[in-house]
Amino acid sequence: MISIKGVNKSFGTVVALKDARLEVKEGEIMALLGSNGSGKSTMIKILSGLYNPNSGSVEIDGKKVKIKSCVDAHNEGIATAFQDLSLVPTMTVIDNLVLGIEPLGKFGLLNRVKAVRMAKDILDRLGVVCDMDAYVQTLPMSTQSMIEVAKAILLKPKVLLLDEVTASLHHDEIQLLFNLVRELKAQGIAILFVTHRMGEVFELSDRVTIMRSGITVIDEDTSKLSMDDIVYYMTGKRPDAGKAEINLEMKEERELILDVKNLKQSKVRDISLQAYKGEIIGIAGLQGQGQPTFIRTVLGLMKPEDGSIIYKGKQTHYKSPENGIKNGMGFISGDRNKESIFQHRSIEENIYAGKAATQNIFKYVTVKEMKQFSLDAINAYKIVAGNVKDPATSLSGGNQQKLVVSRWIALAPDLLLLDDPTKGVDVHSRREIQQILRASALKGMTVIISSSENEELIEISDRIYVFYEGEISGVLKKEDMSMEKLVAAQMGMTSEGNGV
Amino acid sequence: MQKSLKKDHVTVIKIQSFIKTNPAGMTFVIAILLLVLTFILRPNSLNTNTFSSIILLTMLLSFAAAGQTLVLIGGGLDFTVGAVMSSAAVMTTFMMQGQDGKLLPVLGVVLLIGLVVGVINGISTVKIGLPAMIVTMAISNLVARAQYLFAADGKSLGYAGPSFIRSVSYKFGGIVPSIIFYAILIWGIMFYLLKRSVFGKQLYLVGDNKEAAKLSGIKVNKIIILSYIFSGLLSAFAGMLGAAYMTVVSAQVFDRYAFQSLIAVIVGGTALSGGVGTYTGSIAGAFLMVVLSNGLTALALPDPIKNISYGVIMILLLFAYNRTSAVRE
Amino acid sequence: MIENIKNAIIRFKRSPAFTGFALFGFALILNIIIRGPAVFFSAQSMGTLFSKNAPIILVTMAQAVLLITGTLDISIGIQLALVNVVVIMLPQELGVSIPVAWLIGILVSLAISAVGGFLVAVLRIPSLLATFALTFVVMGINVLIMNVPQGSVPKAYYSTYDSLLFGFLPVAALMILGVALIWAVVKRTKFGKHIYAVGADPKKAFAAGINPTGTIMKAFLFKGFITGIAGIALTLMIASGNPLQVESYGLKSLAACIIGGLGFGGWGSMASGVYGVGFLVLIQNAVYYFFNFLQGTIVGFQITSYWQNFISDLIIMLGLLMTTVTARGQREALKQGISRQIKRGDKHAKES
Repeated sequence: MISIKGVNKSFGTVVALKDARLEVKEGEIMALLGSNGSGKSTMIKILSGLYNPNSGSVEIDGKKVKIKSCVDAHNEGIATAFQDLSLVPTMTVIDNLVLGIEPLGKFGLLNRVKAVRMAKDILDRLGVVCDMDAYVQTLPMSTQSMIEVAKAILLKPKVLLLDEVTASLHHDEIQLLFNLVRELKAQGIAILFVTHRMGEVFELSDRVTIMRSGITVIDEDTSKLSMDDIVYYMTGKRPDAGKAEINLEMKEERELILDVKNLKQSKVRDISLQAYKGEIIGIAGLQGQGQPTFIRTVLGLMKPEDGSIIYKGKQTHYKSPENGIKNGMGFISGDRNKESIFQHRSIEENIYAGKAATQNIFKYVTVKEMKQFSLDAINAYKIVAGNVKDPATSLSGGNQQKLVVSRWIALAPDLLLLDDPTKGVDVHSRREIQQILRASALKGMTVIISSSENEELIEISDRIYVFYEGEISGVLKKEDMSMEKLVAAQMGMTSEGNGV
Repeated sequence: MQKSLKKDHVTVIKIQSFIKTNPAGMTFVIAILLLVLTFILRPNSLNTNTFSSIILLTMLLSFAAAGQTLVLIGGGLDFTVGAVMSSAAVMTTFMMQGQDGKLLPVLGVVLLIGLVVGVINGISTVKIGLPAMIVTMAISNLVARAQYLFAADGKSLGYAGPSFIRSVSYKFGGIVPSIIFYAILIWGIMFYLLKRSVFGKQLYLVGDNKEAAKLSGIKVNKIIILSYIFSGLLSAFAGMLGAAYMTVVSAQVFDRYAFQSLIAVIVGGTALSGGVGTYTGSIAGAFLMVVLSNGLTALALPDPIKNISYGVIMILLLFAYNRTSAVRE
Repeated sequence: MIENIKNAIIRFKRSPAFTGFALFGFALILNIIIRGPAVFFSAQSMGTLFSKNAPIILVTMAQAVLLITGTLDISIGIQLALVNVVVIMLPQELGVSIPVAWLIGILVSLAISAVGGFLVAVLRIPSLLATFALTFVVMGINVLIMNVPQGSVPKAYYSTYDSLLFGFLPVAALMILGVALIWAVVKRTKFGKHIYAVGADPKKAFAAGINPTGTIMKAFLFKGFITGIAGIALTLMIASGNPLQVESYGLKSLAACIIGGLGFGGWGSMASGVYGVGFLVLIQNAVYYFFNFLQGTIVGFQITSYWQNFISDLIIMLGLLMTTVTARGQREALKQGISRQIKRGDKHAKES
């Protein structure tokens, strides 16, 4: 059993954890919940040895321990499967699985036979089929996630931390994983898992710990909590029943902003899609069915191998995103850190980035201009920020994403492309972003949004295209959107009712 | 007792945050301290000649560092700074031949050299997927060799024009060299480029996160190539001024400015990884390097001791300024 | 059968060492053409080739190990000189026997590498800058040990170095082979795997329970060991001492590794470095002999060494350009895993 108390952790001026606590007993499955900025990721990183807490104590089986590195954590019996994967992409599956615990043979050389045996055993239990000598980088994300979990289990831990590992997994894989987790629970292992998906909480966990703004708000048996309770503890507010009005008015003559015909580009095999002015088009589908590729090809990051893209009536021959953006497109990525946020630059500069990209490079910009531009955006989109000169990383994840959204909306693009923008964003910020998108669509902006959250798509889209294996398996109109139809299309089952 | 301890603690925190937020200022302070130290240890080095030569060399190094600052902020590295400076210096003396009235054509040719090398640097770094250091190093080798076409046996074939020389080394009040006017010009250009132009804004973004910059619609390659072009132009101009300062110029005379400019820029607060930095910082860094070099010479230490001290002090400075982040936070 | 050969070739093309190998092959062919196979492959020519170039080859191998961990050492050149002066001065001034002097030379190399490793691994100063600063320090130390070039090596030692075992195997080549074998073993140890992990992504290596600081430190020490051997080879080659020589070997070994395909950490192998330095050495040879030939056959044809160097620098620059073509192929393969799939004969159609 593991218990952590009185934990404080700050990064410069940002307080991530304030006197936080957490306790998981042997043979117990604990779900750790919290919005972005709640401190739950920080908590996991402290337990796994990646972060150094400013204060606090960790006890394992009643004994005080000091965790100064990941090696310490491993020695104390704590293993972690990380959300952003601790696998080394340029090394093979088997090298990764035994990294740090390499079985040795004669003369201190690696014992490959033993390593293969270890690896095969755990991969079989997880139902993972892959070439052990394949470079991790070449495998699909869901397989990589499973290997990440396998790696943690190979350490034979007493405490297993699973940080959002189901994000990339298929339904079947999730079930296999949950079965294994239940086996481990029966063996007396304490399991802590972090997730954004309510369904998983109720399906798997015995107890729930909820964090908010760096404090541990409550820990309680899962059976004693309702969904509304959980949302309340996470946000401090009762979930608002008021969903924004759906704009059902469809004008007769609508301008066809984007007309994609038979697009082919790597994962995208044959996609045709139309988007009219003012529409919000949702793109649904399991991970890796070609959605990000589609969006980036429209933007101009990749060149189509075949097919055509007609934007605002003209065939596009884009060579780089800059072409698309110059023609009125905007792009918001779900991977903020890699694709949208400039971490060392200030909030002000981050907001101004879109505008900076579209102006003549020799234009003179005054200090006041930039400041005004960013203040306007902060006010318009209710971004919670301190000083605009602070680095962008001082904002919480949700606010960072709102910053990125505002960066683009301020430029009033004709077509806004979003690739899973609310992934890992807290409920509150998510709702605000949705409202911003709806308001902009009403003003005439066309939105294409790809998302892994089906509820979100159903709530916000006028029409939903479902991607399956690089093709469209279904198009749902507002009137006949339902979760069952969506999931069916995602699995590749097309039926008469879904006109394509 | 408690209260004064707390006060000291607060002061320490204040100093620490000053260092973090104002690396340029910190560098400047260290430089002044070193200068004072030199005067204390060698009082006879305290004269107008020393001051004017320190100012001159600082200016010269900061011109070289100007281009390097731009390139580094954009995430690259320009090893050709030294070779371009040398080539420009050689070309200047070769063309002027000790006569006046050739300023404009010389300027034109010199800037052309800078432009051509800058373009080659930029396109090579962008198209070849190799580290900028290696690519510009290879180009630097070639440029260094090409100089010999204009400097038979390594010695230059003339001097810079007299009035040009005067425009660089005439000393106001016996101390302040007129090169300071050129410095103000360059400072103005850098201020505009880095702090007021859209180019500067895009440059910082490109250096901070290339992928995000690209997806924001910035022409990343164009910006990087431009940074190398500016660097080439600035280094060439610096070389031309350097020729006026040195009067007698030999091939590869300024080659060491490649590394010198790099260290000056980094000690001035610009990161090797890009996305942060200021020209003011680079000037402070250049000042520090010149003071350090001057100090070691003034102390008349034997060469090996000088080298060791130089290396050790550089290590200390690097430790203070430019460390990669820890794996564990 | 043809399929298999084709696949094997494709697989090799995608492997990290191919870049350097292609260039090395090109340079080799050039040499053979210019000098004629009989002359080029003669025992004497091979002997000279290895004995003259063993120091730079060994140093490049050491540099390769550092590059795999994601670091580098520019001062590796001047460190060679450090070993050289120690190995000469100890017998000369203190009457130490030569084998013991060699041992101390290697220890000194380890010590200075420990300092370098400390700066890079513990203080976390970027290796380019830290080792550049270290160059000055080592330069100073060298001159303090030996102020002017001097010293000698007993004939027995250096003639053994220049000689050919069994009439055809250069002793210098054996040194290189020895180091290569040591690396082959190290690659199969925990330390070997950790070098690659840390070079690819130190944060992820740490999360796996590896100590990046320790690994990098050990890599520097390993490099120091090889450098020590290289310093001894240098001493035997020039049969004297010189405190301020071969500083350029630092940048040269770096360029050689990069040409060989070692551009990024966690990927590649010592072989890449060897091919790269082989290319450099052979190109310079080729240019030299080519101009000799021209000067011999064309009356009145004179060319200064500056031009020779210019041409070889130009070819080297072109070699760098070539690496992008081949290196790109490697990186694509890494992304698509084709090499693995072709080897297993899988029908996993190219997804991307």
